[in-house]
Amino acid sequence: MGVRVDDLLTDFIAETRETLEALAGEIVAWEADPEDRARLDSIFRFVHTVKGSCGFLDLPRLQRLSHSAEDVLAEVRSGTRTPDAALVSAVLAIIDRIGELTDALEANEELPEGEDEFLIAALVHNAAAAAAAETSAIAKVNVMPAAPPTRGVSRSIRLPVELLDRLMAGVSDMVLARNELARLLRTGETSSSAEVAFERLSLCVGEMRDAITRTRMSRIEGLFAALPRVVRDLAGELGKTVKLEVDGGDVELDREMIEMIRDPLTHIVRNALDHGIEKPEERKAVGKPEAGRLRIGARQSANQILIEVSDDGRGIDADRVVRKAIGAGLVTAEQAAAMSWSRKLELIFEPGLSTAEKVTGVSGRGVGMDVVRANIERIGGTVDIESTPGQGLRLSLRVPLTLTIIPALTVSAGGTHFAIPRSAIDELVRPKGDQVRIERIGGELVAFIRGVRLPVVDLGRFMGLTDEARPSLLVVLRAGGGERYALGVEAVHDHEELVVKPAAPALMASGVYAGTTLPDNSRPMLLLDVAGIAAAASVGVAQQPVEERPINKRRVKAALPTLLFRDLDGVMRGVRLALVERIEDVPADSAVETGGMRMLPLQGRLTKLYSAADLPQTGRLRVLRLSDGGAMVAYAIDQVLDVVEMRGELAPAQVAGPIAGVVLHDGGPVEMLDPFWLFTGAAPGSANDDSPLCLVADADDPWAREVLAPLLGAAGYRVTLAGEPIEDRVSVVVTTGGAPEGVDAPVVRLRGTPDGADPDSIYRYDRDGLLRALRQHVAGGK
Amino acid sequence: MGLYLIARIADERIALPAGEIGSVVEVDGVAAVPRVPPHVAGLFALRSRVLTVIDTRTSLELGAIDREALSTAVIVEHEGHSYALLVDEVEDVIEAGLPESCPALLPASWRRAARGTIRHGDDAILLIDPATLVAGPEPIAA
Repeated sequence: MGVRVDDLLTDFIAETRETLEALAGEIVAWEADPEDRARLDSIFRFVHTVKGSCGFLDLPRLQRLSHSAEDVLAEVRSGTRTPDAALVSAVLAIIDRIGELTDALEANEELPEGEDEFLIAALVHNAAAAAAAETSAIAKVNVMPAAPPTRGVSRSIRLPVELLDRLMAGVSDMVLARNELARLLRTGETSSSAEVAFERLSLCVGEMRDAITRTRMSRIEGLFAALPRVVRDLAGELGKTVKLEVDGGDVELDREMIEMIRDPLTHIVRNALDHGIEKPEERKAVGKPEAGRLRIGARQSANQILIEVSDDGRGIDADRVVRKAIGAGLVTAEQAAAMSWSRKLELIFEPGLSTAEKVTGVSGRGVGMDVVRANIERIGGTVDIESTPGQGLRLSLRVPLTLTIIPALTVSAGGTHFAIPRSAIDELVRPKGDQVRIERIGGELVAFIRGVRLPVVDLGRFMGLTDEARPSLLVVLRAGGGERYALGVEAVHDHEELVVKPAAPALMASGVYAGTTLPDNSRPMLLLDVAGIAAAASVGVAQQPVEERPINKRRVKAALPTLLFRDLDGVMRGVRLALVERIEDVPADSAVETGGMRMLPLQGRLTKLYSAADLPQTGRLRVLRLSDGGAMVAYAIDQVLDVVEMRGELAPAQVAGPIAGVVLHDGGPVEMLDPFWLFTGAAPGSANDDSPLCLVADADDPWAREVLAPLLGAAGYRVTLAGEPIEDRVSVVVTTGGAPEGVDAPVVRLRGTPDGADPDSIYRYDRDGLLRALRQHVAGGK
Repeated sequence: MGLYLIARIADERIALPAGEIGSVVEVDGVAAVPRVPPHVAGLFALRSRVLTVIDTRTSLELGAIDREALSTAVIVEHEGHSYALLVDEVEDVIEAGLPESCPALLPASWRRAARGTIRHGDDAILLIDPATLVAGPEPIAA
């Protein structure tokens, strides 16, 4: 009998907790709209259920709490009481208390009893007591997300019966296939029918794997459900008004991943409320709606989940971040000057940099974004940040769908194979030539890769498998927290999807392994813990990657650093290294085909994408980001092979195209990309802050607004419409009528007909003429 | 009464509780694992599961042995992980009474691993706790 009550208790705890999570948002919504009958009903049902179960399980405290809440809610339902803020707060406090007691129940702890009376008293007409109870509830809520200590690890899950049916059917199919295979083996039948049976079995196994994976999946809703409450309480505490929009709760994610994301996400939300969204009066002063907007959305993109948190608050001023970073000694002023806006923003992920001017109770204790990033990277994810000062901030978390199957690269050292999670790998380089070389400094190996110095950990020597460190390949790894190092290996073997299982504690305790896996050759292999190796090899602050100063060297004539890569069509090609801004991995489905060309969103802007063959439809796409200093194009490749000094002479191609010609290198021909051709095709547009400012005088004319302005924008001009505040010197004015007063700039006049009376005006559909005139005026004005 | 598996470690007859044992297998091709405690001999794949192979002599502080020479292992589950405990050989499965306390004069390493002794005929055989073999020479609590 005792066992059965225990079981019931466990069920009760699991069920209560599950409902509590789902209910948190309901209550906040009910507060916003007390007339909402459906929400009131679901809250009522919850306390009613708790009351019922408590009586049965002999839990008098929970029963009394839920009973009093039920009474009050019943009064509201019958219309004898109207819900006000005090009442909602009191109900919230009771429900919080139920949650605490449930946690305590599971952990077999006792909670002090005194406060119960207080909470119940608050429910009955006393508003002052309610306010006090509310404060105490808030105080508790604030501690809760940081440390939910009593929560047990093993938690039961609920599955749809349909999924279980699918599993059962899968098992039956497998048994049948197994039986058939067994019969064939017994009778020694021909191999072809055995093969068919085996195929069938494999198919079953595959389907079963999918189904089992689905049982591990859970809707991200569970994670989002707690947020309305967090936002409500925090906004109240900070005296801010915040409108929360949650989207994509039906996206499914591995249950474990959801738990791993919970803390970072809560932290980001708290940051947004504390630092991002301004107080109502402040917002009013800058012309924003008084209520700040916080939007949280999730969606699936290939085998990743993208979670975006954006607010319309004050955003982050990258220059202020840089000043703080320089002050904290994280970067030098010189390095900072060379940084792009986004790189500067990324500094907020550096440890020891908190941008809050003053430490508040909510956030800004210096443990912040670096921990968020470390947590996300630990599960193979990435964090990206975008911000416009005064406009808001957007953080994008990308995490893999599941922890158990991960894409990995197999490497070896000292005859032993290891796997490295693909998500931690920046690039693979072969030390050769000037661009990539390894030097020994004070007994330690240091790699210089295209001017950047990185500490080297030789895998063979680190693992004690070889005496001498003689890496033939370097795998550049992100160790978390923005730290990078190069892992020296003997060979790189394969890129495969591995099923990773936790290793025995004795192995995990070494701190350098993330799990075990069984590749196709059925010889166990260990997955390396990239951050753990960095820590164990003390690749530390002292060896932080530092930009190497360019050394004035006597350049061998015509030796041009060239990046060799294997193209999508399998051909080895090269491109001048100076043009390569970055090598990036992007989800394959992010490339869009539009207007007869392929485009890829890079740095928040559509970039023209070239490829020599059809693009892969799924998985990751590796692209070279090429830049001529202004325009940018992307070129899809298969993999980077090497960086070499190319000395051969170019045999020019006969026809204009993406290939400029062929160079002889190491006895073989290498096709060189033609940057001129690639950039000619690139939209010259993409105006930046230095582009000439063009004032369109007739803002009321739809043609000027909808046809002319976009054309100018596409041609690389910044466009402002008359009547908008002018922030910069106007380079040229375009008008179909009169010129505006008080603007000192040349004027280009347009006319509506091809043959006009005014010889100085330009026909408004004469695109070339217009652009030529603009160029002349802008050049003349400078 | 209980069932016990009788095996030899370093020429000593020991008993393991049969209820905690999955199977007895021949291991070969153990993949070594660097940077782990010495009693972890490596990893071994058995029917698509990865087992951690334990050198029981090192666990019992009986000195290192030629691991290549050993190929018989007893499979146990401990805290959700599977381990292959290397033994010299497996002799028998016997039925015996409940364990009695250990003899007083037992070397420290054996004393830590022993749960008691069982009687089998005229012999007293040490009953070894598989968990202490898995844990290795240094108690984890230390």
